[in-house]
Amino acid sequence: MVQFNADTREIAVKVVYYGPALSGKTTNLQALFQKIDPKVRGRLMTLDTKDDRTLFFDMMPVFFKTQAGVKVKLKLYTVPGQVMHESTRRIVLQGTDAIAFVADSRRAEAASTLAYWNNMLRNLEANGLDYRTLPIVIQMNKKDLEDARGEAELGDLREVIQPPVVPAVAIRGDGVVETLYAVLQLCYRSLDRSFGLESKWRIPEREFLGRIFSHVDLTGTRIPAEGAAPR
Amino acid sequence: MSLPPSFLQQRIPLPDLLDLKAFEEVCRSFAELYRVGLRVFDEEGNRLVDVRVGNADFCGYIWARPKGREQCMATVGRAKSDPIGDDPVASPVDCFSGCKYLAQPVLYEGDVIGRVVFGPFVPEELAELPAALTSISKDFDAKAAANYLTKIRRVATGSAEKILKHFMDLLDVMIFSGHKNLIAAKLHIEAVTESYRELQEKNEELAGSYAKLKELDRLKSNFLATMSHELRTPLTSVIGYSEMMLEGLGGPLTAEQREYLGIIMEKGENLLHLITSILDISKIEAGRVRLVLADVDGGQLMRDAVATVLPLARKKGLKVACEPGQLPRFQADRDKVRQCLVNLCSNAVKFTPAGGSITVSGERLGGDRIAIHVKDTGIGIAEDHLARVFDVFYQVDGSSTREYGGAGLGLAIVRSFVEAHGGEITVRSKPGEGSVFSVVLPVMAMEPAMTPSGPQPPARG
Repeated sequence: MVQFNADTREIAVKVVYYGPALSGKTTNLQALFQKIDPKVRGRLMTLDTKDDRTLFFDMMPVFFKTQAGVKVKLKLYTVPGQVMHESTRRIVLQGTDAIAFVADSRRAEAASTLAYWNNMLRNLEANGLDYRTLPIVIQMNKKDLEDARGEAELGDLREVIQPPVVPAVAIRGDGVVETLYAVLQLCYRSLDRSFGLESKWRIPEREFLGRIFSHVDLTGTRIPAEGAAPR
Repeated sequence: MSLPPSFLQQRIPLPDLLDLKAFEEVCRSFAELYRVGLRVFDEEGNRLVDVRVGNADFCGYIWARPKGREQCMATVGRAKSDPIGDDPVASPVDCFSGCKYLAQPVLYEGDVIGRVVFGPFVPEELAELPAALTSISKDFDAKAAANYLTKIRRVATGSAEKILKHFMDLLDVMIFSGHKNLIAAKLHIEAVTESYRELQEKNEELAGSYAKLKELDRLKSNFLATMSHELRTPLTSVIGYSEMMLEGLGGPLTAEQREYLGIIMEKGENLLHLITSILDISKIEAGRVRLVLADVDGGQLMRDAVATVLPLARKKGLKVACEPGQLPRFQADRDKVRQCLVNLCSNAVKFTPAGGSITVSGERLGGDRIAIHVKDTGIGIAEDHLARVFDVFYQVDGSSTREYGGAGLGLAIVRSFVEAHGGEITVRSKPGEGSVFSVVLPVMAMEPAMTPSGPQPPARG
């Protein structure tokens, strides 16, 4: 749940990267860490095991101050992918404002992807979150590999909701910024509807996205330099 | 269901992010290296660290005078509390004594979580003590004060800012690793708590279904007991009247009629036997078996059992031997032990092909126990079935087209009866070579006459 603090004029937003083990969640955050100007982001915190897989999660804060003097803090999290960390996934998912579901595009991974998708929907429910209204974006990662699924083949994931799909090769940094952009845009609109970001807090979408994406290396993306796409 | 709020949602105060004792040591060695004091405050203004270097004499001299003390406190107050914004830059705070402090916010993830006050130091450009200081009292000794001042480090403000920046970088790393450790530890606890809660829920569900199953099992046993009883009554009449007709009580019969009646009687007896077994097992499962203990002669029981199966064994072409050995008399329920031996012998006959042999033998064991072995040269039992042959309704060949008949109750009854006596039954077998079932009984039966067993556990290891 987004946290508004009217006294200190602060808004804290939480975005979670969810997905099966080895689908590339941490890779996404690492790529973003490289592409975002240190002026608006903190360190990338990775709680990992010796074998190089995410034990608990990764976290990276992104923050900025708006024209109207509101401090916006965005925290990007990943969940641990391994099956055994189910309870950690549920805890990290708590109070999330938006989700990027990172899927391995390969057909061979379709079954496990669907299992994690359903697992996520269940864990959202367990956290009292309504996946029908929560901003969710699917990233079809590893698009460069043979056997990658096309967008027409995602019927299994889109059975209950119809989230936007962003193709990506996170290991090369492709699609990573676009995914974050899509998530934050949906997230902004959902928060705006519920809390009046523009009317009450005087933060227009253009500024919200612009404050972040003007500090992001946009090379190779079609996102406008000031960060705001036409609605 | 909803989870308790995670600490991930909470803002963590500076003191929780640092090991304050270790942090103070770092501050002390840093301050001593650069010969400038340091103070660190948290967001609330609580002082976490206070290291002074070189200014004790000078400040002490000023502090000893009321006016000096007053102004000193004002300076310290400003350094500690004046607003300094939330950018990572140092703000100078001038002391009326000519010294200088630098104040800088401690930032983490864009939040101000504390402040560092660096100083006092003497700015390089300070030539002589300002009038504001020398005029604090009439007896102010400027020469002594200037002498004390030399103990405070003289440094250009720009250099002081660089030193402070270095300190802030160190602090940032310490806070980051502190935060990381804190998260790892707390999340670990939260994850374990959450897993525990989940297991607890599942356990409750399982306990619920287990109770339900137990109740169903009890109902089943009751049903079996009632039905067996109800079936037996009319069946006794069928057998009884057939027997009467065979004896000619209803008038003369043709050879064909006799043959048919013979079949009716034989099948009726089979059915009665089966129903009796079901009744026995349901009694056993309901815990209603009563042992009638008496002194019994094991050899006699063995001969009885062999005599019962002998006609069938001969018909199949099997050799049957009885070697009672030197068995002492022992305490047991004669009928139940006989039934055990008959069941074992019937099985031996059933599963031994023509030309095979069956041996029933007695053996005296140590510890006041006796054993009766029923050995055959039959088809044997594969190892993975061995542990389960004593289970109720268990059949090695469970298919509907199986070669050997039976309800799968014989051995279950044997086990229950033997265990009711405080004994045990074991089996050794090699597929294709034969089986040996051994009943081991104590010479003195155990006291309680009721079977201790309710429904048997499904499998024994």
